[in-house]
Amino acid sequence: MRKERLAYGIICLAILVTVIVSLMLGTQLFSLSELWQAFTGNRPAVLNTVLTFRLPRIVAALVVGGMLATAGAISQSVFRNRLADPTILGVTSAGELFMLLGGFFLPAFGLQKLILAFLGGLVAFALLANRKTLRHPYQLIIVGVALNLTFTGLKQLFTQGIDVGNSLGFNGMTWSSATGLVIAGCIGLILALLVAPWANDLKLPDEQLAMVGVPVIAIRLSLLALVVYLSADVTSVVGTIPFIGIIVPNIARYFVGHDYQTILPFSMLSGAWLLLLVDTVGRVVILPSEISAATLMAVIGGPFLVILVQRGGFNGIKTG
Amino acid sequence: MELKQVRYSYPGSEPLIVNFTASVPQGKILSIIGPNGAGKSTLLKLLMGRISPDSGEVLLDGKSIAAYSNRERAAKIALVSQQHQVFDEMAVKEVVKTGRLPFHSLLATIADEEILPFLKAVDLDWAIDRPLSSLSGGQQQRVWLASALAQEPSYLFLDEPTTYLDIRYQQELMSLIDKLNAEQHITIVLVLHDINQALKISDQVWLLKQGQLVKEGAPDSILDQDLLSDTFEMPVKIVNLETFGPYVIQLTA
Repeated sequence: MRKERLAYGIICLAILVTVIVSLMLGTQLFSLSELWQAFTGNRPAVLNTVLTFRLPRIVAALVVGGMLATAGAISQSVFRNRLADPTILGVTSAGELFMLLGGFFLPAFGLQKLILAFLGGLVAFALLANRKTLRHPYQLIIVGVALNLTFTGLKQLFTQGIDVGNSLGFNGMTWSSATGLVIAGCIGLILALLVAPWANDLKLPDEQLAMVGVPVIAIRLSLLALVVYLSADVTSVVGTIPFIGIIVPNIARYFVGHDYQTILPFSMLSGAWLLLLVDTVGRVVILPSEISAATLMAVIGGPFLVILVQRGGFNGIKTG
Repeated sequence: MELKQVRYSYPGSEPLIVNFTASVPQGKILSIIGPNGAGKSTLLKLLMGRISPDSGEVLLDGKSIAAYSNRERAAKIALVSQQHQVFDEMAVKEVVKTGRLPFHSLLATIADEEILPFLKAVDLDWAIDRPLSSLSGGQQQRVWLASALAQEPSYLFLDEPTTYLDIRYQQELMSLIDKLNAEQHITIVLVLHDINQALKISDQVWLLKQGQLVKEGAPDSILDQDLLSDTFEMPVKIVNLETFGPYVIQLTA
């Protein structure tokens, strides 16, 4: 219990510090006192830069980080597999493909990107989830990776090799995009906290759950729908950012244990912090240009995944 | 509970249960014994409503078991199986709390106090915060028993609960079951491999062979050398042990 509280304290502090540092850093460097003056109304030019360019991007990174970590944690529960993350299972790349094709063939309609990304994610899960992949963790990952490559390949086929994914990301994030993300994201995150007990229920085999009267299929489908919703929200605004959904929940388990009612809130906070950190680093490391958060996450996440698999924390299946 | 003229077969194969009629004695301990493939586990699944008979009916409190929802049934029937798989680390209290699910809304958070009495009943209240995997096999089986008790069932089914336990833990679990039956009047239905264990603990025994009830009655009536030899298709002898009573031993060539 003490360890948990300490972990929550540290992550909240880390978020606060990173937000402040992120507000300070950029093409123009502001000191703490300049920031203070800006917020107390003495430096309108600084305040304008910070509020118009930096803050929406910070807010967006925080929310997206939380959403990705949450989607990862829930998907790990549903698939009973600690590597099951929407970004490596092809859910987000299917979303991107659908968005691209929709843009070609469909007339524009409201929430078009979100709806298309959601449909793409559903299609990916429908292709992914069957009795075999649910029972054999390796099979799920292999099929997922294959689907991911297929969707990515198809996307490249239709764009003739020009990677349109790069046009997304946090660069140039405005309040109008950030507000939409915050609203959609908070709905998803609150729902995730509400259904956390279901993620715990799925630690038991289906047969056992049926014996205690739990409608297994219904809760599994609801959780999957939530995963697709969270992923689709993110994909439709900033594209695919890999590995946060794997790294964060697995580290969260180390700090706060295995109860999803604590894993989920802690993952939200840690995911928010991690993505903000990565985006801030990427934003300032090669000024005046920048490295996208997706690229940096791929570089960090790949090795983490290798370590996780090699240390055997792979599927987490234990016979009790 | 009652089985009336129950017949069951998997599609396209020989019937596993044939014209089975019997009733589970209320408040007693019933053991189902018989050779492998006799249909013991299938019979248990029928009684729990996990599968439906091809013909005939299974009645729970006078009503067809198929008429109960999963949730209603869960408040009447609980199961402890021979081995329980979990897909993640679980604390002891998490396991026992799943037994309370029939009594709460799906999104409820269940308090620790609510499950404490059930852990006390199996002498594991000290382990409430411990991870399940840190306990011994015998203790883990008692945690699952506590989880089943948390359903406050009228009927407790145990499907070869002692299979993976060594003899000391087997003994411990069997006396616990006996105590639960005596103190809480739960009707207990056991599927057991060990004939002697079954005969020792039960008030009533069903002897099965090839999906049919060969004999039902008190343990004494099952203690028949010819009957057992015939059912298990191997010679057995019943000897009298001073401290134990009649004991069935198998005679191998």
